[in-house]
Amino acid sequence: MYILPKADVPRLLDAIAARYELFGPVVDPISGDTLFDRASAPSAVRLDAPIPVNTPKFSVFPHFERILTYRYDRASKALDIRREDLVRPKALVGVRSCDLTGLLCFDRFFLGQEFVDEVYRDHRRKMLIVANTCVRPFAQCFCVCTDSGPAAVEGFDVNLTDLGEAFLFETGSDKGRGLASELGLAPAGEHAARDRAAVVNRSIGLFDGQAVENKAWISRAVNRLTTGFVKPETWEYIGQQCFECGACSFVCPSCSCFNVQDAATQAGPTDRLRTWDSCSFEGYSRMAGEHNPRRPIEDRRNKRFFCKLSYSQSKKYLRPGCVGCGRCARVCPGDIGLPNVVTAIRREITEPKP
Amino acid sequence: MNEPNPAVITTVPTPAVIEEIRPEIEDVRTCYFRFEDPEIEKSFAVRSGQFVMCTVFGAGEFAVSLPWSPEGDRRHLSVRAVGKVTGALARLAPGDKIGIRGPFGNGFPFEAIKGKNIIYVAGGIGIIPLRSSIVHVLLHRPEFGRLILLYGARAPQDLMYRDKIEEWRRTEGFETHITIDRPRPGWTGETGFVHTLIEKAKVPVENTVAFVCGPPIMFNAVIKELSARGLRDDCIISTLERHMKCGIGKCQHCAIGRTLVCTDGPVFTYKQIKTLGEQI
Repeated sequence: MYILPKADVPRLLDAIAARYELFGPVVDPISGDTLFDRASAPSAVRLDAPIPVNTPKFSVFPHFERILTYRYDRASKALDIRREDLVRPKALVGVRSCDLTGLLCFDRFFLGQEFVDEVYRDHRRKMLIVANTCVRPFAQCFCVCTDSGPAAVEGFDVNLTDLGEAFLFETGSDKGRGLASELGLAPAGEHAARDRAAVVNRSIGLFDGQAVENKAWISRAVNRLTTGFVKPETWEYIGQQCFECGACSFVCPSCSCFNVQDAATQAGPTDRLRTWDSCSFEGYSRMAGEHNPRRPIEDRRNKRFFCKLSYSQSKKYLRPGCVGCGRCARVCPGDIGLPNVVTAIRREITEPKP
Repeated sequence: MNEPNPAVITTVPTPAVIEEIRPEIEDVRTCYFRFEDPEIEKSFAVRSGQFVMCTVFGAGEFAVSLPWSPEGDRRHLSVRAVGKVTGALARLAPGDKIGIRGPFGNGFPFEAIKGKNIIYVAGGIGIIPLRSSIVHVLLHRPEFGRLILLYGARAPQDLMYRDKIEEWRRTEGFETHITIDRPRPGWTGETGFVHTLIEKAKVPVENTVAFVCGPPIMFNAVIKELSARGLRDDCIISTLERHMKCGIGKCQHCAIGRTLVCTDGPVFTYKQIKTLGEQI
């Protein structure tokens, strides 16, 4: 562990930007929102900004990405297929532990199952991750209930913790240790671990007033979902509330469903595009010939919650899919973000029917 | 991180040339093809029951089950023109190129069914994925007990693979029963839905495995009839299809419950199908 004086943060960001495409929390001057985005300049990265409204997942799983391009001329039968590796090494700086946990879910899902997803792998390799211990949760945050915060424990090259005058600079890889020596950082003193624990505990304390509802119930919801004991009425209620807008999927750090389409142009090449998709969309499971095995919304809507909380999906992520960032609760127009679904499942257990 | 499996083409479709196209029934054609790369032509090995992702350049990609048997059979796909991409395939001609990724999925469990009676029950183009299994079993005829094919279609002109079926009818030790939904002028064979053949063919249930494939309504009627006769759920084998985008377990479009048809299937026993938690 090292100490990074706050005055040296620009040096750190410059050193990273020299070698990587730099992404981090930036503040939008018009809306005032914090966005996780490509930094226009190293100085645009704001390590003290509130949690970004979006997740960094687009850096490894873009909203919209060309994964292949080809040109086929029917007259001459000439075919040219290319898969260019345009991915430059990226650095994600100031990643909160919830979002980092989402990336770890992605790693286990895209790289660790039967097949490796080569498109994802190309984004992920060569990447540098500088995490930032979360000292200011959103009102909707509940990472303390999903074992994914407020401080990262794995998956980072560097983890920063704001100690006031300076950041504690923990290294998690050779790349991180290399940065520390390049910047000539002084080793942290003997109180570093205690100071870090104090910051994390203060942060956990901030959840007291906001996440108590969920704390004990996530694991019960996992249990009920996995064993199939959620009542049909509960799913029907959730289905009725759903606007099928897909916002929950798009803001979720661990949602990774995608669609693939070939986009042809009149004369030029065809691009094979991979785009974000959501299981709430009616066309998600529709097959050619209009056969759709999942038609009613309640039939589709519960899939998301199985994905986030069921044991079978947790086996793929080696943890629950929900990372407790609370963004779905922020964006859902139907008020059925994950915490409220957990509450609905809790109610059916605890409240007697009239 | 797992290493990519070199035997499977996962990301970039490999070019193949259509050599011949045969019309089968209305809207269904069989395309015979070979891979452009002689190395892949030699090494591309499939298991009966698997599927590939087929690219029609300029239109897109679709998942398609394999009708050809890995042993002594020409590579081909039989496809109904039903959507945008399969419709574009239907407009291609011999000499045109397509792209193939795969093979994907688990395949039929031939080792586990050695020594058993085998019943194939197919409805309409449901015979396409079963074709490779039938070819395999006939090549290894002594390893199996009674062999029965029950095949039904709406009308005589809806019967697939007519040459092959004619060959199977003449094959000694292969009991073939073919039916069309209702009597038609000139049709002298059986009439009625395919599940009614189960009674007529006096199919065995002891030491027996049934392969069933067809539209959901036919599937349910056949299962009901086989179950009523005492065939166990784990002795009924089918292959499922879904809207698929990747074939490698990532896009999640083919999820039924938490099961993925592409990597956990597409071949399932009825016992497994019943636990998927969604309609098939």
